[in-house]
Amino acid sequence: MHALSAHLKRSKGDFSLDIEVDFIQGITGIFGPSGAGKTTLMHLLVGLEKPDEGFLKIEETTMVDTFKNIYEPARNRKVGYVFQEGRLFPHMNVRKNLLFAAKYIPKGKQVIEFTELVNLLELNNLLEKRPGQLSGGEKQRVAIGRALLSSPKLLLMDEPFSSLDVKLRRQIIPYLIKINRKFNIPMLVVSHDLPDLLSLTRELFLLKNGRVLGHGNYLDLIEQENMLDVMRGAGLMNVIQFRVEAHDKKNGLTILSNKDASEEISIEREMVLDCCQIGDEMNVSLRPEDIALTLEEIPNISIRNQLPGTIVKVIQKENRNYCLVDVGFKLLISITHASLLKMELSEGKKVWCLFKSMALQTNT
Amino acid sequence: MEHWFVFSETEMSAIGLSFKVALWCAVLVLPIAVLMGWWLARKTFRGKSLIEGFINLPLVLPPVATGFILLLLLGTKGLIGHWLNELLGIRIAFTYYAAVIASMIVSFPLAVRAIRLSIEMVDPGFEEAARTLGASTFQSFVRVTLPLALPGIISGFVLSFARSLGEFGATIIFAGNISGETQTIPLALFNQIQMPGMESSAFRLLLVAVLFSFLAMAFSEYLVKKLHKRN
Repeated sequence: MHALSAHLKRSKGDFSLDIEVDFIQGITGIFGPSGAGKTTLMHLLVGLEKPDEGFLKIEETTMVDTFKNIYEPARNRKVGYVFQEGRLFPHMNVRKNLLFAAKYIPKGKQVIEFTELVNLLELNNLLEKRPGQLSGGEKQRVAIGRALLSSPKLLLMDEPFSSLDVKLRRQIIPYLIKINRKFNIPMLVVSHDLPDLLSLTRELFLLKNGRVLGHGNYLDLIEQENMLDVMRGAGLMNVIQFRVEAHDKKNGLTILSNKDASEEISIEREMVLDCCQIGDEMNVSLRPEDIALTLEEIPNISIRNQLPGTIVKVIQKENRNYCLVDVGFKLLISITHASLLKMELSEGKKVWCLFKSMALQTNT
Repeated sequence: MEHWFVFSETEMSAIGLSFKVALWCAVLVLPIAVLMGWWLARKTFRGKSLIEGFINLPLVLPPVATGFILLLLLGTKGLIGHWLNELLGIRIAFTYYAAVIASMIVSFPLAVRAIRLSIEMVDPGFEEAARTLGASTFQSFVRVTLPLALPGIISGFVLSFARSLGEFGATIIFAGNISGETQTIPLALFNQIQMPGMESSAFRLLLVAVLFSFLAMAFSEYLVKKLHKRN
């Protein structure tokens, strides 16, 4: 069953949007440069704008069908929407904001329980405060909580990171992952920031000029023609999920292992105390520029992570070159044209990927 | 000197009547002005400026002319008035109700303006948010926009109350200057000034008018300040 399926058209002046989108569950990212039509798409899905033509189904319910003259207003759609700026009601305290939707849900139909949510989002100490007294990250959490307490069938988030500084972004991501897992609510997250989006999900829809350029797994998208152009400006990033295996306190390292890989792959990361416990899952991001390629293992070097793999694809775009290497999971590596030629890199070639423990960033 | 601060029966009735007329005027104007203010603040449609111009007409028209128009419409021989009179036996002109209606018409544009401005200040995004949370357009208006626009709504109420206290021209034409029925403070004041030897009475009425207006303004200031503190 699709959580959402839609084909919507809308023109506004010079801009026209014609988008087909569907997804099943989990977290799906919608990525595109500004002006791609991300917010318009959200508004069409949530019911704040009407399409010129098309349909929208949420689970099995048709919410919009211009051919059959069906148009359910926003309040009937059961779509939780977290606005970019939060839009918390300034005249109500946090508790009242959170409970705003409670009046419109029949008794017993409440899917998410208030106390449980407050605990999950750590809002206990904020309940009596007014939105004006909250920090950016707190506002964001309240806005997410308020949308969830309307018992939505899916949750849409418009640029949840844009109003937060880098540190707060890192803090909000684990909450979103927790929500998705705990309440099993499909989420659609819009962002123009690729690294942030990738720390949540690798399932992406790529939008440009009101059209879907492609959708699917991030690394598969990169392999497709033209996709790289859209994504490159946004900061390409490797995001890999690891499990914390051990802390090597003597050497100040954390040992991580990847579960997607066919055989277990261990990497080391500079240990950050209190960041994680053994057995924790964490997303680790690694910039393509921070990985070096060699043709053989190098024993006497300070770089501790050396993974053997096979080049799956060489992508040459103008003066930028990328190699996609399968080391058990796929890694995107940025490389100069000179090195590409000198090392005679081509698809199928065996290489070693080298990166320093310190190059790994964790987003939990 | 001792009789300077003793209010006569005529004066007392004018004061009581003024207060009653002004209160009824403000209470009746308020819901209509809120609806109209919301409509003008949130909707765009053809002929909007025409409607705005019509509502604002009493602001620029001499009140006497407004009173005359009311008389032409609602007088016993008026366009609508004669039907009311013949079919239902209702007579409006030169009654207490005429005084209230004259006040309402004159103060309506002031109330609408204050309320409309305050609604325009409320980000429509909050209403959108409310609708995505399950509220209807009306519910989101009542639960979100109305409380956020409350300072403007209060000032709209006070303005129409105060405007009604000062209303003279339209009232004297449409409701007349009948002691105990339509003679409010300004009309009584007008009478006393014209009569020789009534200076003390005029002075007392003047004092009450000043006091009323001052209290109304102070009360609205107090409420608005309190609301600001709350938000």
